[in-house]
Amino acid sequence: MQDKIVEVNFGPQHPSTHGVLRVKVKLDGEVIVDAQPVIGYLHRNAEKLSEMGYYPKAQIYVDRLDYAAALNMELGFVLSAEKLMDIQVPDRALWIRMMMVELNRIASHFIWLGTHGLDMGMLSPFFYCFREREKVFRILDEITGSRLLYNYFAIGGVYSDVTPKSLEMIKTWLSDFDKNLTEIENIFKKSYIYVARTRGTGKLSLDDTISYGVTGPMLRAAGKKWDLRKNRPYLHYDQINFDVPSQQAGDVYARMLVRIEEMHQSARIVAQVLEKLPAGDFYNKKYSKPMLVRIKATGESYIPTESPKGEFGIYLVGDGSAIPYRFRIRSPSFANLSAAPAMLIGYKIADMTATLSSMDPVFGEVDR
Amino acid sequence: MIPVESEASSKDGVKIIYVAKENILQFLKEKKDEGFDYLLMITGIDYKDHLEVVYHLLSSKSGERLVVKAKTDGEIDSVTSLWKGANWHERETWDLLGIKFNGHPNLKRILLAEGWVGHPLRKDYPMDKKQYVNLKEDGDDTVSFEKKEGY
Amino acid sequence: MSDNILVTTLDEALRWGTGKSLWPFTFGLACCALEMMSAMGSDYDWARFGSDVFRDSPRHSDLMIVSGTVTKKMAPRIRRLYDQMAFPKFVISMGACASAGGPYVRGYSVVDGVDQVVPVDVYIYGCPPRPESLIKALKLLQDRIADGKVKH
Repeated sequence: MQDKIVEVNFGPQHPSTHGVLRVKVKLDGEVIVDAQPVIGYLHRNAEKLSEMGYYPKAQIYVDRLDYAAALNMELGFVLSAEKLMDIQVPDRALWIRMMMVELNRIASHFIWLGTHGLDMGMLSPFFYCFREREKVFRILDEITGSRLLYNYFAIGGVYSDVTPKSLEMIKTWLSDFDKNLTEIENIFKKSYIYVARTRGTGKLSLDDTISYGVTGPMLRAAGKKWDLRKNRPYLHYDQINFDVPSQQAGDVYARMLVRIEEMHQSARIVAQVLEKLPAGDFYNKKYSKPMLVRIKATGESYIPTESPKGEFGIYLVGDGSAIPYRFRIRSPSFANLSAAPAMLIGYKIADMTATLSSMDPVFGEVDR
Repeated sequence: MIPVESEASSKDGVKIIYVAKENILQFLKEKKDEGFDYLLMITGIDYKDHLEVVYHLLSSKSGERLVVKAKTDGEIDSVTSLWKGANWHERETWDLLGIKFNGHPNLKRILLAEGWVGHPLRKDYPMDKKQYVNLKEDGDDTVSFEKKEGY
Repeated sequence: MSDNILVTTLDEALRWGTGKSLWPFTFGLACCALEMMSAMGSDYDWARFGSDVFRDSPRHSDLMIVSGTVTKKMAPRIRRLYDQMAFPKFVISMGACASAGGPYVRGYSVVDGVDQVVPVDVYIYGCPPRPESLIKALKLLQDRIADGKVKH
């Protein structure tokens, strides 16, 4: 029996790995008997470089962690740094941040949805999703001046105020967002092949989910209503009405449903922020950018935030100088990907692309 | 009950508990039974004269958080028997900080190439000494200090 | 051979054809890969410029877009993929990281520029470059192929 086991190398270059993942798979016929992810092909020493420069300088590396949702990454960093340095943030900046983060979450989920479609052999959702994603990007471009990596949040506020034109753009975009998303959603839900391939595939039980430290949509798809925006509200999420979607099945199909519902909810949050956006300063006038590099900090802080992939935060330890002593990134994709063997073993090799893409790993964040 | 060495609080209001490194496995087991079912991350800090291992715990029922720290000189017990997710976190801490986890099933480098010399997040890691990686026929990595032997 | 008027004209026609039917390789490394996908997506649609389908195998493709940071662990693999591509083959180095290491150049595990691994025809600046830049690079590469000025 032993010699029937075939070892297959998957990656690091493969169209469905969403980057540079390599998986060593052992197969018995078509069934996966062992799967070991090999990571580190995008290890670009973000932690070391951040420990070599001033606090605000670390932000460019934070931006490039989860490059699909750069603003969510920045939020984790600025919240942690502000707590460490005891910097107050004006109210308007908090609301702007909340709106931007939700817009970026939608863009991130669109990338996931489009590439997930590609992995499942559906080409058209990719083009629909990128059409919708470009609409979000035009808004983000108008506000921040950049398409993908923004460097927009600053310690103590945001770099530029939202303009009336951009708010108008958001309103126009919101007016038909739900309709367009439902259209894409139906491509997935009504495709017989998609449903057959994803229902019951890549199951992860709730116990395993918790044991592996898996957070975010994958946890919610496994049956736990856990969202840091509700359970440990930061910014002003406690003043906003939104639902936390959850599913019981814990398979690829459930993850798709959870992510799509999250996008609807994010749009709801954006709409409410538009109504509540207060007037005022958009950054703390006491701390201009040249000032920030001189701020010395001691102690430690870790503020968890709900990024599109799960719990993200930066564990900062200061030693009394203007440079972080320890800069540890809690990356959700890293923990989520470590559960890959539990989701792959026992399934067919053809289910592998479905399962891997349903985890939504982004390698800037896995390998850091 | 495992004795606690000292307690502190972080800036975001989370309790920090220092435990002796011999007791870490037992202490975390107690905490897990108390309801801290999530191990969010394991990391280390290099304080030049000693290393510190940091565990971030979360209770998914109450939402409470806890930071557990243990001072070490480079070795500590592995907690892979308590949390499956500890496996990768410990491998990463070994890879980047050189903290050895006794009892870990597969303590190999995870981010850097196998055969890398040194642990980069240590404060005394020589950043000017470049290492070059190449590929063997069977797909494993080789590391060398010679520029012509790799990229 | 180049004295022969028939062959030179054929050669020119071949080069013209090569430039107008580039098959890029689906090879995303990091952040820039998302902008590469945007360039391929609905709004920018770079199939308009004769670079139609992204191929999933290096043996089917003749254009490698190095989109992202090249780490030391990945560099030998990139070389192997490049070696597997069929002639004629071209390389676009997309973004600051692939061109010169970008913001990570001071780090310990990043190769400062993909040109140390594979010969590069066109470099694009930006971190990440916008899809328009990628389209411009494609046009530039097509011009160079038509002029016969490519490295391979």
